[in-house]
Amino acid sequence: MTKRNHVAAGVVFTIALASLLPSAAPRSATMKFYTDDPLQREPETQDASAVQEWDIDLVWDLAENLFGHPGDSTPDVKARNVNTVDEVPDSSWFTNRIGVRPVSIEEAVRGPLTDGGPAPGTWSVVGAKEAGFAPGFTMQDPRGDRWFVSFDAKGFPDAATGAILVANKIFWALGYFQVENYLIRVRPDQLVIGESASVTPPSGKRRRMKFGDLEDVLRRSHRALDGSYRAVAARSVPGRVLGGFRYHGTRPDDPNDVIPHEHRRELRALKVFGAWTNLVDMKAGNTLDSLISENGKGIVRHYLQDVGSTFGTGANAPREYDEGWEYLFEGDLAWKRLATMGFFLRPWQTVQYADNRAIGRFEGAVFDPREWKPRVPTAAFLRAREDDTFWAARRVMAFSDDMIFALAETGKYSDESAAKQLAGVLIQRRDKIGKVYLNAINPVSNFALDADDTLTFENAAVTAGVSDEPSGGYVVSWSRFDNTTGETTPIGSPVATADRRVRPTAALPSAPGSFVKIQIWEKRIRPPATPQVAVSFRRNRSTWTLVGVDRLPPQ
Amino acid sequence: MAAPGDAMHIDRRTLYATCGAILLLASSARAQETRAAEIGAEQAKKATEVTPYEAGTAERWAVAIRREFLAEPSGFYPYFASVYSGGGFTLGAGYRQFLGDRTHWDAKGLYSAKSYKLFEVSADSWGHAQDRLDLHGRVGWRDATQVAYYGLSIDSPDERSNFRMQQSYFGGDPQVRPGGFTVFGAGMTYEDFALEEGTGNTPSIEEVFTPETAPGLGVSPTYLHTTASGGFDWRPSPGYARHGGLYQVTYHNYADRDNAYSFDRIDGEIVQHIPILRENWVISLHGLVQTTLDDEDVVPYFLLPSLGSGSTLRAYPSWRFRDRHSLLLSGEFRWIPNRLGIDMALFYDTGKVTPRWDDLSLDHLKSNVGIGIRFHTPLATPLRIELARGSEGLHLVFGGSAAF
Repeated sequence: MTKRNHVAAGVVFTIALASLLPSAAPRSATMKFYTDDPLQREPETQDASAVQEWDIDLVWDLAENLFGHPGDSTPDVKARNVNTVDEVPDSSWFTNRIGVRPVSIEEAVRGPLTDGGPAPGTWSVVGAKEAGFAPGFTMQDPRGDRWFVSFDAKGFPDAATGAILVANKIFWALGYFQVENYLIRVRPDQLVIGESASVTPPSGKRRRMKFGDLEDVLRRSHRALDGSYRAVAARSVPGRVLGGFRYHGTRPDDPNDVIPHEHRRELRALKVFGAWTNLVDMKAGNTLDSLISENGKGIVRHYLQDVGSTFGTGANAPREYDEGWEYLFEGDLAWKRLATMGFFLRPWQTVQYADNRAIGRFEGAVFDPREWKPRVPTAAFLRAREDDTFWAARRVMAFSDDMIFALAETGKYSDESAAKQLAGVLIQRRDKIGKVYLNAINPVSNFALDADDTLTFENAAVTAGVSDEPSGGYVVSWSRFDNTTGETTPIGSPVATADRRVRPTAALPSAPGSFVKIQIWEKRIRPPATPQVAVSFRRNRSTWTLVGVDRLPPQ
Repeated sequence: MAAPGDAMHIDRRTLYATCGAILLLASSARAQETRAAEIGAEQAKKATEVTPYEAGTAERWAVAIRREFLAEPSGFYPYFASVYSGGGFTLGAGYRQFLGDRTHWDAKGLYSAKSYKLFEVSADSWGHAQDRLDLHGRVGWRDATQVAYYGLSIDSPDERSNFRMQQSYFGGDPQVRPGGFTVFGAGMTYEDFALEEGTGNTPSIEEVFTPETAPGLGVSPTYLHTTASGGFDWRPSPGYARHGGLYQVTYHNYADRDNAYSFDRIDGEIVQHIPILRENWVISLHGLVQTTLDDEDVVPYFLLPSLGSGSTLRAYPSWRFRDRHSLLLSGEFRWIPNRLGIDMALFYDTGKVTPRWDDLSLDHLKSNVGIGIRFHTPLATPLRIELARGSEGLHLVFGGSAAF
């Protein structure tokens, strides 16, 4: 090395070392709260344009989930995509809507719809329906928009299409990316077969579509008296379609997908939303990723593409009786039934259903949210903790009776009693979900600390009408919180309150940037007391900002 | 090993690499002063490691199997079926080639533990006339080396003899579903039989029986076998059902080329599945009557109605009872440990064979009881294992199809 090189290297080395020296700001590595907490949007910093299409095989998907126990085996892991106030930031997976901001009935009823659906005129069939069991095809309208069309199965008018229409709005209001589903009437004489339309017959050899193929589809579909067919047209999603997503692991070629899906709260929460709506078919094939462009870079957006496997009907007929009650295969149940000659009975074998072919087997009287199961074990559901289900239950409870009735009406059932029956069951199931999951942990929520240090909060279970105020009120303790060391120093003595409005017995710190941690207990005689909830506030110039909510230990 | 004096001599490349690493560490530490930066750093790290998804071994196998046998059904496939009742376990393979959307030809071969052999080339075309018409045709050769014969009558002693039956055949049959649950079928098959001495450990048939006790012994007839059937079938699938039924009558005409052994037979069959408590239990009933129409006709011993096998009197070996008429009644109490794949059953079979139609009554029947487990798909029963007990002891049944 020359002397000049030695000097240059020395300068570089010194700069590098200097960059490691402590700065005036506290070392971030030990901070509990960052300056941008609580995060309102999950950042997606990397360009995912190189992500590739994949096809998640149905048989493998079912087998892996039924017998493979995929995903992180660490027990009791807190959802990793929640912010410091225990909420889910908006992301390419989820958009906060009901329960977070006002959602009017009109907005919920409109859901993801942006216009009136397929343009009228001649519709060009461009392909066969490749997934699912419902009869259908892909078509292009005169505007050039592409639509995936699915029909009601023969003998079950309104059933499959009604479920899609209603569930589409419910899951949109809950926050999931949804395709736009429109109710349409299809007349055979308005259909033509496009030049490029192809089908895969039983031979497995793909070939050009013929009118006979279309007739096969329509023959399996329910035909109205006027010769038309009721159907749902789903608009193709924007961007490059990549295939579905799994409920465990991450997509290895998406750089922004760094949180294992089983640890994403909005996917865990589907355990509750699924129980509410009986969304039993949680296969990857009912999800869809697409690559869109956002701020000049490629981002993978994640859709719950097909939420039509809801309520009491399947694509072709009412649900099997055990759907929603059992996985497709459960070894212990199989052994019990085998050994008892079938006399080991489960509720689904005796539960009564109202007779309505449009709704199918969907009931709320015997429904138990904790016992509900999709067709196969779902990795994200199996990791759901009480704080995840509490979060989800609050959103379910945010659907008012009027909104549920209005949403059920969007199914456009020809039998008026069908919408009423559907809404009635949804309300029944909603209330059970609230009762179970809002009372499972300490349900205090909506915390605010005003400028004169008065803390107010709500009780989500009481607000939802599924619980009374705790018999002994609440006990609140205050402490100063050191954001660098994590140490707490008590402020005054614990204070009891019955009206959820309380002030500390000593002054809170007033310096901007200081933190307080407040712990809240419910005082209950019966049922047993729920754990404390710890909330943290950061002092600004003259106000307090909520920065932390801890309902359960991280692990 | 470096000399002590070389200790301070650092390679320039190493120095800059070290500095780079320190800078990266520093920038990483700084980046985490916001939550967004912390997440961004994690994403940036993954961006350096992104790789297309690669399926594991198990997934690759599962996908390949599904693609091979379901998505792209043309090509070779393993084949397990019965060559002829009593032939034992078989191994086989087939090759299928589609000629159209719903038309394929198929060549397959089977070889059993008892050296039974089957080669068959068939063509099937289905779903015509708006899914109302199926067409089937086949040509083949079968060699059953040690088919059992115990003599005529339900009282025949448990003393087995064997014969070898080779059968060449070709024919075809359409099936029509005109609407509702009605089904009609017709068929015509040329069947050339060659009967020989049996192999195996038991005496050959001609050592024990005569043409009086084994009608047609010593002849090898050739038939034009014509069938016509009609009935109602509302089972989800003949291969597996928990509800529905079949009520069907089939007429057989066996026209011997020499007319010496021509005969007519009618089969009447009833299957009824009665689900209980949402198919938690199923009562399944089966009745089968086979009757030779003309008492004057001579029916060769190997084509007589028979009982005994994994789907008739299950505690009795294949072909245990033969005569001109037969009656079989079976009842099963089934329970369903898992609706997707496992059934259990307690069953009772009873029946008789008789020389005269008038004797086909409900007395003097042979019976058995048993228990079984079935592994099934929604449409088929690929494995059925049953243990049955009758007057001649226990019998273990392995079947590759539904009992009825």
